[in-house]
Amino acid sequence: MSVLEVDGVYTQLAGQLLHDGVNFRVNKGEVVALIGGSGTGKTVLLRECVGLLRTSGGSIRLLGEDIWSLSPQALNQVRQRFGMLFQEGALFSSLTVAENIAAPLREHLKLPASLQNEVIALNIRLAGLPLDAAAKRPSELSGGMKKRAALARALALQPEMLFLDEPTSGLDPISAREFDRLLRTLCDSLGLTALLTTHDLDTLWGMVDRVVVLHGGKVIADGPVADVAKVDHPWIQSYFSAQALSRGTS
Amino acid sequence: MTDSPPIFLERTESGGVLRLAGDWRLARLASLDRLLSGFEWPKGGALTLDGSGLARLDGTGVMLLRNHLQAAGFPWQQIGLTGFAEDQLGLVRLVAERLDVPALPEPMQPGLLARLGHRVSRLAGRLPNIIGFLGWLGESLFDLVRRPAGFRARETFVQLENVGLRALPIVALMTFLIGVVFAYLLGIQIEKYGANIFIVDGVSMAMARELSPLLVAILMAGRSGAAFTAQIGAMKVTEEIDAITTLGLSPMQVLVVPRLIAIVIAMPLLTFFGDIVGIAGSAVIASSQLDITFVTFVTRLKDVLPVDMVVYGLYKAPVFAAAIAFIACRNGFAVSRDARSVGDKTTSTVVSSLVAVILINAMFAILHPEL
Repeated sequence: MSVLEVDGVYTQLAGQLLHDGVNFRVNKGEVVALIGGSGTGKTVLLRECVGLLRTSGGSIRLLGEDIWSLSPQALNQVRQRFGMLFQEGALFSSLTVAENIAAPLREHLKLPASLQNEVIALNIRLAGLPLDAAAKRPSELSGGMKKRAALARALALQPEMLFLDEPTSGLDPISAREFDRLLRTLCDSLGLTALLTTHDLDTLWGMVDRVVVLHGGKVIADGPVADVAKVDHPWIQSYFSAQALSRGTS
Repeated sequence: MTDSPPIFLERTESGGVLRLAGDWRLARLASLDRLLSGFEWPKGGALTLDGSGLARLDGTGVMLLRNHLQAAGFPWQQIGLTGFAEDQLGLVRLVAERLDVPALPEPMQPGLLARLGHRVSRLAGRLPNIIGFLGWLGESLFDLVRRPAGFRARETFVQLENVGLRALPIVALMTFLIGVVFAYLLGIQIEKYGANIFIVDGVSMAMARELSPLLVAILMAGRSGAAFTAQIGAMKVTEEIDAITTLGLSPMQVLVVPRLIAIVIAMPLLTFFGDIVGIAGSAVIASSQLDITFVTFVTRLKDVLPVDMVVYGLYKAPVFAAAIAFIACRNGFAVSRDARSVGDKTTSTVVSSLVAVILINAMFAILHPEL
């Protein structure tokens, strides 16, 4: 069953054709990575999927709804069913971690205070943070903890799907692998579907079920990492050999 | 299935089986919580959870069960699980494992006295910072005197244009209107006594001594002070100030000293400009309401307005300016790296510099009672 269907999406930004008929789908329970060179519109596509940016044409069906034909109210209903992790975390800097997680809960559910605190503690723990992180402000957290706090907020409404924009960027390799493992565990145990953009080859090889390669405004490859790495295309070959080079010299 | 209760206890000789049914999800959490709070748990014995009737389950549902069972005296480790689907078991295990940490003690609410003490110590803790900034600024100014080649003319002139030249229209508008209003209201009173000509005395002294210096200072605190804090604060957020330092430049020399010099030069000039425009505003009223021609007005002005008083008003201005620049730049440097901080510090700049201006003005009044 497809959770996300991207059909013939084309995007024109500032007079430039960014996507020229992008097609792919994400099935339930899958972790799919969107890769491509800088400026190929990975993040733009992600923002179109969650309804932050309007496509110039084509359709995006998310959780069974064509999101660009929905009314704003209906779109907000759909928004409660997925979570988004922004590249820099986008935590509200004036709120503590607990208040950040409470923000969507307070907005959409009327929970008694004690129960809300239990749910907050659950999300903090699911994201792999210690409980005492709850009272801290984002500025007091390290990069890795910020990502985890942002993940806890994205998980707060128990979404069916997660969108992640470069989840491991800015993390050291150890934290990055830990974050990968955490995401994989969460996706497997909570039955989450995930679509992420990444530049991190270790993430691709380590935790992703399928890779979608965006190049020249089109999807040029779509499949398991091992298969995509064998595709005979100059960009794909140089992408995957960049890793071989760095491994070879180190 | 929807008819069966979400949770149902079936007693057995060794304890009981809890049969779960329906949706155990976040959307129904509040009602499930009420249900479990009133639930009659068995007294002791072994419990087994049967998930075969479950339609949907999410992490919060597992958490709710676990926390209530724990509170009722059934440690999660001793509870048997049966009838759960494979993916549900993974979820149950993950949640139980993650929640298996000692809960934090409730944070103590500090008393009134403790909060007061905390606040005072925090305010006092800022004092060394302020003194340090003052010292740094003093050092930079001293450096500049010793080595005038380090003077950054370009930055200073850019700031002079911003705080001086571009402020002219708004200063003109404000002082002119205040001059008009002041002369109009004063005119109504003195006309009753036939003392029309004294409008010149009243308006010119008030303008030169208090109104123009204060008005310009208030305007500068809101206009330039806020701008200084926001500019420096934004640079702090984007690490530009650190970049200046690592390039071997002094942020004080590049950012603060030009602003300080520019505003100290601009403020007396603007104040003098304000004097003239304000008095001109009242001259307009004097000629139209009180039959005092411009010539009479100016002749009288020469006789009654002592130069001392004009100078007194002008020499207050640089002091106001220095206070505003100091407060604004220090607040800019005190911005921390988050979005709210810039706004907070800018507000604080405007409020503190207004208070500073009023206080300094009061001190001047006490020091010069003879005028």
